[in-house]
Amino acid sequence: MPIKLMAASRRRPGLTRAEYFRYIEHYHGTVARVERFKIEKYIQNHVIDGAFGVLSDDSHQNKVTDRDAVVELHFDSFRDMLATLEPEGVTQSRANQDGRFFADEANNVLVMAEEEELPVASPMPAFNPGLGEPGHGALKVMQYIMRRPDVFPQDFHRLWRRAHDEALATSSYANEMFRKITVSRRSRVNDNDAAARAHFRMVDPPVYDLVVSITLDSMEQVGAFRQYFDAMTKSALDFADWSQSFFLYVRPVRIIDDASAKE
Amino acid sequence: MADMTKPEWQAQKTYDQNRADCRVKATRPPLTPDEEKRPFAKYYYDEIPQPDPVHYATMDEPMDPADAIYPEDINRLLDVPALEAGVEIGWCNLPNGAGYIANRIHYPQFTADMVDWWFAWHPLEDLRYRIWYPPQHAGIMLSPMDRARILDDSIPNREKNWGVVHNVTENCDNGYENIDIAFRSPADAGFDMEKFDKVAATMAGGMGWAVTVDKTDESITAPALMVHMFYDAPEGGLIHRTRFWMGYRFNEKDKPELCLPPGVSVPVEAVQGLARHNVKEYTRWREFLPRIHAELGSGMYC
Repeated sequence: MPIKLMAASRRRPGLTRAEYFRYIEHYHGTVARVERFKIEKYIQNHVIDGAFGVLSDDSHQNKVTDRDAVVELHFDSFRDMLATLEPEGVTQSRANQDGRFFADEANNVLVMAEEEELPVASPMPAFNPGLGEPGHGALKVMQYIMRRPDVFPQDFHRLWRRAHDEALATSSYANEMFRKITVSRRSRVNDNDAAARAHFRMVDPPVYDLVVSITLDSMEQVGAFRQYFDAMTKSALDFADWSQSFFLYVRPVRIIDDASAKE
Repeated sequence: MADMTKPEWQAQKTYDQNRADCRVKATRPPLTPDEEKRPFAKYYYDEIPQPDPVHYATMDEPMDPADAIYPEDINRLLDVPALEAGVEIGWCNLPNGAGYIANRIHYPQFTADMVDWWFAWHPLEDLRYRIWYPPQHAGIMLSPMDRARILDDSIPNREKNWGVVHNVTENCDNGYENIDIAFRSPADAGFDMEKFDKVAATMAGGMGWAVTVDKTDESITAPALMVHMFYDAPEGGLIHRTRFWMGYRFNEKDKPELCLPPGVSVPVEAVQGLARHNVKEYTRWREFLPRIHAELGSGMYC
Protein backbone atom coordinates (compact mmCIF):
# COMPACT_ATOMS: atom_id res chain seq x y z
CA MET A 1 0.00 0.00 0.00
CA PRO A 2 1.64 3.28 -1.02
CA ILE A 3 1.03 5.28 2.14
CA LYS A 4 -0.57 5.00 5.54
CA LEU A 5 -1.34 7.26 8.43
CA MET A 6 -0.58 5.98 11.92
CA ALA A 7 -2.00 7.77 14.95
CA ALA A 8 -0.96 6.64 18.42
CA SER A 9 -3.36 8.07 20.95
CA ARG A 10 -4.34 7.97 24.60
CA ARG A 11 -7.89 7.62 25.88
CA ARG A 12 -9.62 10.77 27.03
CA PRO A 13 -10.03 11.59 30.72
CA GLY A 14 -12.82 9.72 32.44
CA LEU A 15 -12.81 6.55 30.32
CA THR A 16 -11.66 3.13 31.46
CA ARG A 17 -9.61 1.11 28.99
CA ALA A 18 -12.50 -1.30 28.46
CA GLU A 19 -14.90 1.56 27.73
CA TYR A 20 -12.39 3.13 25.37
CA PHE A 21 -11.75 -0.07 23.41
CA ARG A 22 -15.47 -0.81 23.18
CA TYR A 23 -16.16 2.67 21.86
CA ILE A 24 -13.41 2.85 19.24
CA GLU A 25 -13.99 -0.65 17.91
CA HIS A 26 -17.76 -0.76 17.83
CA TYR A 27 -18.87 2.85 17.45
CA HIS A 28 -15.95 4.73 15.90
CA GLY A 29 -15.10 1.74 13.72
CA THR A 30 -18.66 1.68 12.44
CA VAL A 31 -18.52 5.39 11.66
CA ALA A 32 -15.40 4.77 9.58
CA ARG A 33 -17.06 1.92 7.68
CA VAL A 34 -20.16 4.02 6.99
CA GLU A 35 -18.20 7.13 6.05
CA ARG A 36 -15.23 5.46 4.40
CA PHE A 37 -14.12 8.14 1.95
CA LYS A 38 -10.83 6.92 0.35
CA ILE A 39 -9.67 4.59 3.15
CA GLU A 40 -8.28 1.39 1.65
CA LYS A 41 -7.59 -0.43 4.91
CA TYR A 42 -8.14 0.48 8.55
CA ILE A 43 -6.57 -1.44 11.43
CA GLN A 44 -6.98 -0.51 15.08
CA ASN A 45 -4.21 -1.75 17.36
CA HIS A 46 -5.45 -1.97 20.93
CA VAL A 47 -2.62 -1.62 23.42
CA ILE A 48 -2.17 -4.44 25.91
CA ASP A 49 1.08 -3.23 27.45
CA GLY A 50 4.14 -1.20 26.59
CA ALA A 51 7.28 0.54 27.80
CA PHE A 52 8.56 4.07 27.29
CA GLY A 53 12.28 4.81 27.36
CA VAL A 54 14.84 2.35 28.68
CA LEU A 55 15.79 0.85 32.04
CA SER A 56 18.79 3.14 32.40
CA ASP A 57 16.50 6.21 32.52
CA ASP A 58 15.75 7.45 36.05
CA SER A 59 12.49 9.04 34.93
CA HIS A 60 10.47 9.25 31.76
CA GLN A 61 11.98 11.47 29.07
CA ASN A 62 9.32 10.80 26.47
CA LYS A 63 7.23 13.77 25.53
CA VAL A 64 4.21 11.48 25.52
CA THR A 65 3.58 8.25 27.40
CA ASP A 66 0.64 5.93 28.00
CA ARG A 67 -0.62 5.13 24.52
CA ASP A 68 -3.89 3.16 24.40
CA ALA A 69 -4.27 2.55 20.67
CA VAL A 70 -2.55 2.99 17.33
CA VAL A 71 -4.83 3.31 14.32
CA GLU A 72 -3.41 2.58 10.88
CA LEU A 73 -5.27 4.05 7.92
CA HIS A 74 -4.00 2.86 4.54
CA PHE A 75 -4.48 4.79 1.29
CA ASP A 76 -3.64 4.21 -2.34
CA SER A 77 -2.06 7.67 -2.61
CA PHE A 78 -1.26 10.80 -0.66
CA ARG A 79 -4.09 12.57 -2.47
CA ASP A 80 -6.53 9.94 -1.23
CA MET A 81 -5.28 10.54 2.29
CA LEU A 82 -5.89 14.26 1.97
CA ALA A 83 -9.31 13.67 0.42
CA THR A 84 -10.21 11.65 3.52
CA LEU A 85 -8.78 14.05 6.08
CA GLU A 86 -10.33 17.05 4.33
CA PRO A 87 -13.28 15.61 2.41
CA GLU A 88 -14.66 17.87 -0.27
CA GLY A 89 -17.97 19.50 0.65
CA VAL A 90 -17.83 18.35 4.27
CA THR A 91 -16.91 20.77 7.05
CA GLN A 92 -16.03 17.99 9.48
CA SER A 93 -16.41 14.28 8.86
CA ARG A 94 -18.30 12.20 11.44
CA ALA A 95 -15.07 10.40 12.33
CA ASN A 96 -13.36 13.73 12.90
CA GLN A 97 -16.15 14.99 15.16
CA ASP A 98 -16.21 11.69 17.04
CA GLY A 99 -12.56 11.78 18.13
CA ARG A 100 -13.09 14.05 21.10
CA PHE A 101 -15.41 11.48 22.72
CA PHE A 102 -12.66 8.90 23.20
CA ALA A 103 -9.19 10.40 22.57
CA ASP A 104 -6.97 12.88 24.38
CA GLU A 105 -6.50 14.55 21.02
CA ALA A 106 -3.86 17.17 21.80
CA ASN A 107 -1.14 14.58 22.39
CA ASN A 108 -1.80 12.22 19.50
CA VAL A 109 1.41 11.05 17.80
CA LEU A 110 1.10 10.86 14.05
CA VAL A 111 3.33 9.22 11.46
CA MET A 112 2.65 9.20 7.71
CA ALA A 113 4.64 6.24 6.57
CA GLU A 114 5.47 3.85 3.79
CA GLU A 115 5.79 0.16 4.55
CA GLU A 116 8.39 -2.43 3.73
CA GLU A 117 8.13 -6.01 4.87
CA LEU A 118 11.42 -7.59 5.89
CA PRO A 119 12.17 -11.30 5.67
CA VAL A 120 11.91 -13.45 8.80
CA ALA A 121 13.71 -16.70 9.52
CA SER A 122 10.63 -18.51 10.85
CA PRO A 123 7.33 -17.52 9.28
CA MET A 124 4.27 -19.12 10.81
CA PRO A 125 4.52 -22.76 9.70
CA ALA A 126 0.80 -23.51 9.32
CA PHE A 127 -2.56 -21.84 9.73
CA ASN A 128 -3.81 -22.06 13.27
CA PRO A 129 -6.97 -20.12 14.14
CA GLY A 130 -5.86 -20.12 17.76
CA LEU A 131 -2.99 -17.84 16.77
CA GLY A 132 -4.66 -14.88 15.17
CA GLU A 133 -4.88 -14.58 11.42
CA PRO A 134 -3.59 -16.76 8.59
CA GLY A 135 0.12 -16.31 8.27
CA HIS A 136 0.34 -13.89 11.17
CA GLY A 137 0.56 -14.28 14.90
CA ALA A 138 -1.96 -12.85 17.33
CA LEU A 139 0.31 -10.32 19.02
CA LYS A 140 1.95 -7.34 17.38
CA VAL A 141 4.77 -5.29 18.87
CA MET A 142 4.90 -1.70 17.60
CA GLN A 143 8.23 -0.04 18.26
CA TYR A 144 8.42 3.74 17.78
CA ILE A 145 12.07 4.73 17.32
CA MET A 146 13.17 8.35 17.55
CA ARG A 147 16.14 9.45 15.46
CA ARG A 148 18.96 11.19 17.27
CA PRO A 149 18.86 14.83 16.13
CA ASP A 150 22.47 14.80 14.98
CA VAL A 151 21.98 11.79 12.69
CA PHE A 152 20.98 12.36 9.07
CA PRO A 153 17.65 10.66 8.27
CA GLN A 154 19.17 8.56 5.49
CA ASP A 155 21.91 7.29 7.80
CA PHE A 156 19.37 6.66 10.56
CA HIS A 157 17.51 4.14 8.39
CA ARG A 158 20.72 2.49 7.21
CA LEU A 159 22.11 2.21 10.73
CA TRP A 160 18.82 0.85 12.05
CA ARG A 161 18.91 -1.87 9.41
CA ARG A 162 22.46 -2.82 10.32
CA ALA A 163 21.63 -2.88 14.03
CA HIS A 164 18.47 -4.89 13.33
CA ASP A 165 20.36 -7.52 11.35
CA GLU A 166 23.06 -7.71 14.01
CA ALA A 167 20.50 -7.95 16.82
CA LEU A 168 18.67 -10.79 15.09
CA ALA A 169 21.96 -12.57 14.47
CA THR A 170 22.60 -12.67 18.22
CA SER A 171 18.99 -13.28 19.35
CA SER A 172 18.12 -16.88 18.62
CA TYR A 173 14.74 -16.81 20.39
CA ALA A 174 13.69 -13.70 18.46
CA ASN A 175 14.83 -15.30 15.21
CA GLU A 176 12.70 -18.32 16.01
CA MET A 177 9.57 -16.42 17.06
CA PHE A 178 9.33 -13.31 14.85
CA ARG A 179 6.62 -14.22 12.33
CA LYS A 180 6.43 -10.94 10.40
CA ILE A 181 8.42 -7.70 10.45
CA THR A 182 7.05 -4.55 8.85
CA VAL A 183 9.09 -1.37 8.69
CA SER A 184 7.10 1.88 8.47
CA ARG A 185 9.36 4.76 7.44
CA ARG A 186 8.13 8.30 7.97
CA SER A 187 7.52 9.97 4.62
CA ARG A 188 8.51 13.54 3.87
CA VAL A 189 4.87 14.19 2.99
CA ASN A 190 4.51 14.11 6.78
CA ASP A 191 6.32 17.47 6.81
CA ASN A 192 3.12 18.99 5.41
CA ASP A 193 0.82 17.48 7.98
CA ALA A 194 -1.20 20.56 8.92
CA ALA A 195 -4.43 18.87 7.76
CA ALA A 196 -3.66 15.74 9.72
CA ARG A 197 -2.70 17.71 12.83
CA ALA A 198 -5.96 19.58 12.53
CA HIS A 199 -7.88 16.32 11.99
CA PHE A 200 -6.30 14.71 15.04
CA ARG A 201 -6.05 18.03 16.93
CA MET A 202 -2.41 17.50 17.87
CA VAL A 203 -0.31 20.15 19.57
CA ASP A 204 3.45 20.14 18.86
CA PRO A 205 3.73 16.37 18.51
CA PRO A 206 7.06 14.54 18.74
CA VAL A 207 8.47 13.24 15.45
CA TYR A 208 9.22 9.56 14.96
CA ASP A 209 11.03 8.56 11.76
CA LEU A 210 10.50 4.83 12.14
CA VAL A 211 7.91 2.39 13.47
CA VAL A 212 8.79 -1.29 13.42
CA SER A 213 5.93 -3.79 13.73
CA ILE A 214 6.80 -7.34 14.74
CA THR A 215 4.25 -10.14 14.94
CA LEU A 216 4.52 -12.96 17.45
CA ASP A 217 2.28 -15.97 17.99
CA SER A 218 0.91 -14.76 21.31
CA MET A 219 1.71 -12.81 24.45
CA GLU A 220 3.62 -15.87 25.68
CA GLN A 221 6.46 -15.04 23.28
CA VAL A 222 7.13 -11.39 24.13
CA GLY A 223 10.40 -12.47 25.71
CA ALA A 224 11.61 -12.88 22.14
CA PHE A 225 11.08 -9.17 21.53
CA ARG A 226 12.81 -8.35 24.83
CA GLN A 227 15.84 -10.33 23.73
CA TYR A 228 15.94 -8.47 20.42
CA PHE A 229 15.28 -5.09 22.05
CA ASP A 230 18.15 -5.55 24.49
CA ALA A 231 20.49 -6.42 21.62
CA MET A 232 19.31 -3.36 19.64
CA THR A 233 19.79 -0.91 22.49
CA LYS A 234 23.26 -2.29 23.24
CA SER A 235 24.36 -1.84 19.63
CA ALA A 236 27.54 0.16 19.10
CA LEU A 237 25.74 1.90 16.24
CA ASP A 238 24.53 5.20 17.64
CA PHE A 239 21.46 6.35 15.77
CA ALA A 240 18.43 6.32 18.10
CA ASP A 241 17.31 8.22 21.14
CA TRP A 242 16.08 5.20 23.05
CA SER A 243 14.96 7.34 26.00
CA GLN A 244 12.40 9.00 23.75
CA SER A 245 11.44 5.80 21.97
CA PHE A 246 8.79 3.33 23.07
CA PHE A 247 7.20 0.01 22.24
CA LEU A 248 3.67 -1.29 22.57
CA TYR A 249 2.24 -4.79 22.68
CA VAL A 250 -1.01 -4.56 20.76
CA ARG A 251 -4.00 -6.61 19.60
CA PRO A 252 -4.76 -5.77 15.94
CA VAL A 253 -8.46 -5.29 15.12
CA ARG A 254 -9.57 -5.14 11.48
CA ILE A 255 -12.08 -2.38 10.86
CA ILE A 256 -11.84 -2.12 7.05
CA ASP A 257 -9.93 -4.61 4.93
CA ASP A 258 -11.05 -5.74 1.49
CA ALA A 259 -8.20 -8.20 1.06
CA SER A 260 -9.31 -11.75 0.53
CA ALA A 261 -9.35 -13.97 3.61
CA LYS A 262 -6.46 -16.08 2.37
CA GLU A 263 -4.05 -13.18 2.03
CA MET B 1 42.81 3.83 5.56
CA ALA B 2 41.30 7.23 4.86
CA ASP B 3 43.15 10.33 6.07
CA MET B 4 40.41 11.94 8.17
CA THR B 5 42.42 15.15 8.53
CA LYS B 6 41.78 16.05 4.88
CA PRO B 7 39.28 18.85 4.20
CA GLU B 8 36.97 16.45 2.40
CA TRP B 9 36.41 14.63 5.72
CA GLN B 10 36.76 17.64 8.00
CA ALA B 11 33.81 19.30 6.25
CA GLN B 12 31.43 16.89 7.96
CA LYS B 13 28.74 18.43 10.18
CA THR B 14 25.96 16.74 12.08
CA TYR B 15 22.43 16.93 10.74
CA ASP B 16 21.16 19.38 13.34
CA GLN B 17 24.31 21.54 13.10
CA ASN B 18 24.00 21.75 9.34
CA ARG B 19 20.34 22.69 9.54
CA ALA B 20 21.27 25.49 11.96
CA ASP B 21 24.19 26.60 9.76
CA CYS B 22 21.98 26.87 6.67
CA ARG B 23 20.50 30.19 7.78
CA VAL B 24 24.02 31.62 7.90
CA LYS B 25 24.98 29.96 4.62
CA ALA B 26 21.94 31.60 3.01
CA THR B 27 23.51 35.00 3.70
CA ARG B 28 26.41 33.94 1.45
CA PRO B 29 29.13 35.12 3.82
CA PRO B 30 32.65 35.88 2.54
CA LEU B 31 34.96 32.89 2.21
CA THR B 32 36.76 31.87 5.40
CA PRO B 33 40.58 31.94 5.52
CA ASP B 34 40.63 28.14 5.18
CA GLU B 35 38.34 28.34 2.15
CA GLU B 36 40.52 31.00 0.55
CA LYS B 37 43.42 28.51 0.66
CA ARG B 38 41.54 25.83 -1.27
CA PRO B 39 42.87 25.37 -4.82
CA PHE B 40 39.42 26.03 -6.31
CA ALA B 41 38.69 29.24 -4.35
CA LYS B 42 39.66 31.36 -7.35
CA TYR B 43 36.60 30.15 -9.26
CA TYR B 44 34.40 31.86 -6.68
CA TYR B 45 35.61 35.19 -8.02
CA ASP B 46 35.03 34.41 -11.71
CA GLU B 47 32.93 36.77 -13.75
CA ILE B 48 29.69 34.81 -14.12
CA PRO B 49 28.57 34.42 -17.77
CA GLN B 50 25.04 35.58 -18.54
CA PRO B 51 22.59 33.28 -20.33
CA ASP B 52 21.94 33.64 -24.02
CA PRO B 53 19.18 36.29 -24.10
CA VAL B 54 17.01 34.36 -26.55
CA HIS B 55 17.30 31.18 -24.50
CA TYR B 56 16.56 32.99 -21.24
CA ALA B 57 13.59 34.84 -22.74
CA THR B 58 12.01 31.50 -23.63
CA MET B 59 11.31 31.17 -19.91
CA ASP B 60 9.30 34.43 -19.86
CA GLU B 61 6.00 32.75 -20.71
CA PRO B 62 4.66 29.25 -20.05
CA MET B 63 4.73 26.62 -22.79
CA ASP B 64 1.69 24.62 -23.90
CA PRO B 65 1.23 21.77 -21.35
CA ALA B 66 0.20 19.50 -24.23
CA ASP B 67 3.88 19.46 -25.22
CA ALA B 68 5.07 18.27 -21.81
CA ILE B 69 6.36 14.83 -20.88
CA TYR B 70 5.02 13.24 -17.68
CA PRO B 71 7.31 11.43 -15.23
CA GLU B 72 5.44 8.18 -15.81
CA ASP B 73 6.71 8.47 -19.41
CA ILE B 74 10.35 9.15 -18.50
CA ASN B 75 11.51 6.73 -21.20
CA ARG B 76 10.35 9.24 -23.80
CA LEU B 77 13.64 10.98 -22.94
CA LEU B 78 15.31 8.13 -24.82
CA ASP B 79 13.51 8.93 -28.08
CA VAL B 80 15.80 11.68 -29.34
CA PRO B 81 14.11 12.36 -32.71
CA ALA B 82 10.79 12.88 -30.93
CA LEU B 83 12.45 15.16 -28.38
CA GLU B 84 14.01 17.23 -31.14
CA ALA B 85 10.61 17.56 -32.80
CA GLY B 86 9.00 18.70 -29.54
CA VAL B 87 9.41 21.53 -27.04
CA GLU B 88 12.89 21.35 -25.52
CA ILE B 89 12.94 24.60 -23.53
CA GLY B 90 10.04 25.85 -21.44
CA TRP B 91 7.93 25.52 -18.33
CA CYS B 92 4.27 25.26 -17.41
CA ASN B 93 1.76 23.95 -14.93
CA LEU B 94 0.36 20.59 -16.01
CA PRO B 95 -3.42 20.12 -15.89
CA ASN B 96 -3.00 18.14 -12.64
CA GLY B 97 -1.30 21.14 -10.98
CA ALA B 98 2.29 19.86 -11.16
CA GLY B 99 5.07 22.15 -12.34
CA TYR B 100 7.00 21.08 -15.45
CA ILE B 101 10.35 22.38 -16.68
CA ALA B 102 12.31 21.43 -19.79
CA ASN B 103 15.71 22.76 -20.73
CA ARG B 104 18.34 21.92 -23.33
CA ILE B 105 21.94 23.14 -23.56
CA HIS B 106 24.82 22.07 -25.80
CA TYR B 107 28.24 21.73 -24.14
CA PRO B 108 30.84 21.58 -26.94
CA GLN B 109 33.75 20.74 -24.63
CA PHE B 110 32.12 18.23 -22.30
CA THR B 111 32.55 14.48 -21.88
CA ALA B 112 30.43 12.10 -19.81
CA ASP B 113 33.40 11.46 -17.52
CA MET B 114 33.59 15.17 -16.71
CA VAL B 115 29.90 15.20 -15.77
CA ASP B 116 30.24 12.10 -13.60
CA TRP B 117 33.27 13.57 -11.85
CA TRP B 118 31.51 16.86 -11.15
CA PHE B 119 28.38 15.38 -9.62
CA ALA B 120 30.51 13.23 -7.29
CA TRP B 121 33.15 15.88 -6.51
CA HIS B 122 31.06 18.96 -5.78
CA PRO B 123 29.01 17.84 -2.72
CA LEU B 124 32.08 17.33 -0.53
CA GLU B 125 32.46 20.95 0.60
CA ASP B 126 30.28 24.06 0.70
CA LEU B 127 32.73 25.99 -1.44
CA ARG B 128 32.69 23.39 -4.22
CA TYR B 129 28.96 24.00 -4.55
CA ARG B 130 29.24 27.75 -4.16
CA ILE B 131 31.73 28.12 -7.02
CA TRP B 132 29.24 26.44 -9.38
CA TYR B 133 26.93 29.43 -9.27
CA PRO B 134 28.07 31.96 -6.63
CA PRO B 135 25.05 34.28 -6.94
CA GLN B 136 22.58 31.62 -5.79
CA HIS B 137 24.40 28.54 -4.45
CA ALA B 138 24.98 28.84 -0.71
CA GLY B 139 26.13 25.47 0.60
CA ILE B 140 25.93 21.69 0.59
CA MET B 141 26.31 18.81 3.04
CA LEU B 142 26.46 15.01 2.89
CA SER B 143 25.72 12.57 5.67
CA PRO B 144 28.75 10.69 7.07
CA MET B 145 27.74 7.47 5.30
CA ASP B 146 27.12 9.25 2.00
CA ARG B 147 30.46 11.03 2.31
CA ALA B 148 32.20 7.69 2.81
CA ARG B 149 30.55 6.39 -0.36
CA ILE B 150 31.61 9.41 -2.41
CA LEU B 151 35.18 9.04 -1.14
CA ASP B 152 35.29 5.30 -1.72
CA ASP B 153 37.84 4.77 -4.51
CA SER B 154 36.36 1.42 -5.42
CA ILE B 155 33.09 2.98 -6.60
CA PRO B 156 33.14 4.47 -10.14
CA ASN B 157 32.35 8.19 -10.32
CA ARG B 158 29.21 7.44 -12.32
CA GLU B 159 27.79 5.34 -9.48
CA LYS B 160 28.96 7.29 -6.44
CA ASN B 161 25.75 9.30 -6.11
CA TRP B 162 23.37 6.37 -6.46
CA GLY B 163 21.41 6.42 -3.19
CA VAL B 164 23.25 9.49 -1.90
CA VAL B 165 21.45 12.62 -0.64
CA HIS B 166 22.83 16.10 -1.35
CA ASN B 167 21.57 18.53 1.31
CA VAL B 168 21.89 21.82 -0.59
CA THR B 169 21.05 25.41 0.28
CA GLU B 170 20.08 27.23 -2.89
CA ASN B 171 18.01 30.12 -4.20
CA CYS B 172 15.86 29.17 -7.18
CA ASP B 173 14.70 32.75 -7.69
CA ASN B 174 12.22 32.50 -4.79
CA GLY B 175 14.44 32.86 -1.74
CA TYR B 176 16.86 30.42 -0.11
CA GLU B 177 15.68 26.87 0.45
CA ASN B 178 17.12 23.71 1.95
CA ILE B 179 16.73 21.07 -0.73
CA ASP B 180 17.46 17.43 0.02
CA ILE B 181 18.14 15.73 -3.31
CA ALA B 182 18.17 11.92 -3.22
CA PHE B 183 20.04 10.76 -6.31
CA ARG B 184 19.15 7.52 -8.04
CA SER B 185 20.60 5.19 -10.60
CA PRO B 186 18.98 5.44 -14.06
CA ALA B 187 17.24 2.12 -13.42
CA ASP B 188 15.79 3.33 -10.12
CA ALA B 189 14.66 6.53 -11.83
CA GLY B 190 12.53 4.39 -14.12
CA PHE B 191 14.62 4.09 -17.27
CA ASP B 192 14.60 1.04 -19.52
CA MET B 193 18.32 0.29 -19.21
CA GLU B 194 18.60 -1.58 -22.47
CA LYS B 195 17.51 1.57 -24.33
CA PHE B 196 19.27 3.92 -21.92
CA ASP B 197 22.67 2.36 -22.56
CA LYS B 198 22.21 2.80 -26.30
CA VAL B 199 21.03 6.42 -26.19
CA ALA B 200 22.36 8.22 -23.10
CA ALA B 201 25.95 9.16 -22.31
CA THR B 202 25.23 9.60 -18.61
CA MET B 203 22.56 10.91 -16.24
CA ALA B 204 22.14 12.56 -12.84
CA GLY B 205 18.77 12.75 -11.17
CA GLY B 206 16.42 11.75 -8.43
CA MET B 207 13.95 13.29 -6.02
CA GLY B 208 14.20 16.51 -4.05
CA TRP B 209 12.32 17.94 -1.07
CA ALA B 210 12.56 21.72 -0.70
CA VAL B 211 11.60 24.00 2.16
CA THR B 212 12.56 27.55 2.97
CA VAL B 213 15.60 27.99 5.23
CA ASP B 214 13.30 30.06 7.47
CA LYS B 215 11.01 27.07 7.95
CA THR B 216 8.10 27.45 10.33
CA ASP B 217 5.44 24.99 11.39
CA GLU B 218 3.28 26.09 8.47
CA SER B 219 5.97 25.98 5.76
CA ILE B 220 5.31 23.67 2.83
CA THR B 221 7.98 21.10 2.05
CA ALA B 222 7.69 20.61 -1.69
CA PRO B 223 8.74 17.50 -3.62
CA ALA B 224 10.08 17.39 -7.16
CA LEU B 225 11.52 14.81 -9.50
CA MET B 226 14.58 15.87 -11.45
CA VAL B 227 16.55 14.37 -14.28
CA HIS B 228 19.63 15.68 -16.07
CA MET B 229 20.18 13.58 -19.19
CA PHE B 230 23.36 13.81 -21.23
CA TYR B 231 23.68 12.62 -24.83
CA ASP B 232 26.65 12.55 -27.17
CA ALA B 233 26.22 15.47 -29.58
CA PRO B 234 26.76 14.79 -33.31
CA GLU B 235 28.76 18.02 -33.56
CA GLY B 236 30.91 17.06 -30.55
CA GLY B 237 30.52 17.43 -26.80
CA LEU B 238 27.28 16.68 -24.99
CA ILE B 239 23.63 17.67 -25.21
CA HIS B 240 22.11 18.23 -21.77
CA ARG B 241 18.35 17.82 -21.38
CA THR B 242 16.81 18.68 -18.02
CA ARG B 243 13.31 17.87 -16.81
CA PHE B 244 11.71 18.79 -13.49
CA TRP B 245 8.32 17.60 -12.29
CA MET B 246 7.40 19.71 -9.26
CA GLY B 247 4.78 18.25 -6.95
CA TYR B 248 5.76 14.66 -7.72
CA ARG B 249 7.69 12.23 -5.55
CA PHE B 250 8.86 8.64 -5.95
CA ASN B 251 6.80 6.43 -3.67
CA GLU B 252 8.10 3.36 -1.83
CA LYS B 253 7.49 1.29 -4.95
CA ASP B 254 9.73 3.68 -6.95
CA LYS B 255 6.77 4.99 -8.95
CA PRO B 256 6.21 8.71 -9.61
CA GLU B 257 3.26 9.90 -7.54
CA LEU B 258 1.63 13.32 -7.59
CA CYS B 259 1.24 14.50 -4.02
CA LEU B 260 -0.47 17.84 -4.39
CA PRO B 261 -3.77 18.27 -2.59
CA PRO B 262 -6.70 18.08 -5.02
CA GLY B 263 -7.29 21.44 -6.67
CA VAL B 264 -3.84 22.79 -5.73
CA SER B 265 -1.19 23.81 -8.29
CA VAL B 266 2.51 24.46 -7.80
CA PRO B 267 2.79 28.28 -7.76
CA VAL B 268 3.72 29.75 -11.12
CA GLU B 269 6.50 31.78 -9.49
CA ALA B 270 8.13 28.61 -8.19
CA VAL B 271 8.04 26.88 -11.59
CA GLN B 272 9.30 29.87 -13.54
CA GLY B 273 11.88 30.65 -10.87
CA LEU B 274 13.40 27.18 -11.02
CA ALA B 275 13.31 27.28 -14.85
CA ARG B 276 15.24 30.55 -14.93
CA HIS B 277 17.66 29.40 -12.22
CA ASN B 278 18.32 26.24 -14.19
CA VAL B 279 19.27 28.24 -17.30
CA LYS B 280 21.57 30.50 -15.28
CA GLU B 281 23.40 27.81 -13.29
CA TYR B 282 23.99 25.60 -16.34
CA THR B 283 25.12 28.53 -18.46
CA ARG B 284 27.82 29.05 -15.84
CA TRP B 285 28.56 25.31 -15.69
CA ARG B 286 29.01 25.16 -19.47
CA GLU B 287 31.87 27.61 -19.32
CA PHE B 288 33.42 26.47 -16.04
CA LEU B 289 33.41 22.67 -15.90
CA PRO B 290 36.05 22.07 -18.62
CA ARG B 291 38.46 24.44 -16.83
CA ILE B 292 38.06 23.02 -13.32
CA HIS B 293 38.03 19.43 -14.56
CA ALA B 294 41.32 20.00 -16.39
CA GLU B 295 42.82 21.33 -13.17
CA LEU B 296 41.33 19.08 -10.49
CA GLY B 297 39.47 16.28 -12.22
CA SER B 298 41.84 13.44 -11.33
CA GLY B 299 39.98 12.45 -8.17
CA MET B 300 37.81 13.47 -5.25
CA TYR B 301 40.56 14.95 -3.05
CA CYS B 302 42.43 18.18 -3.58
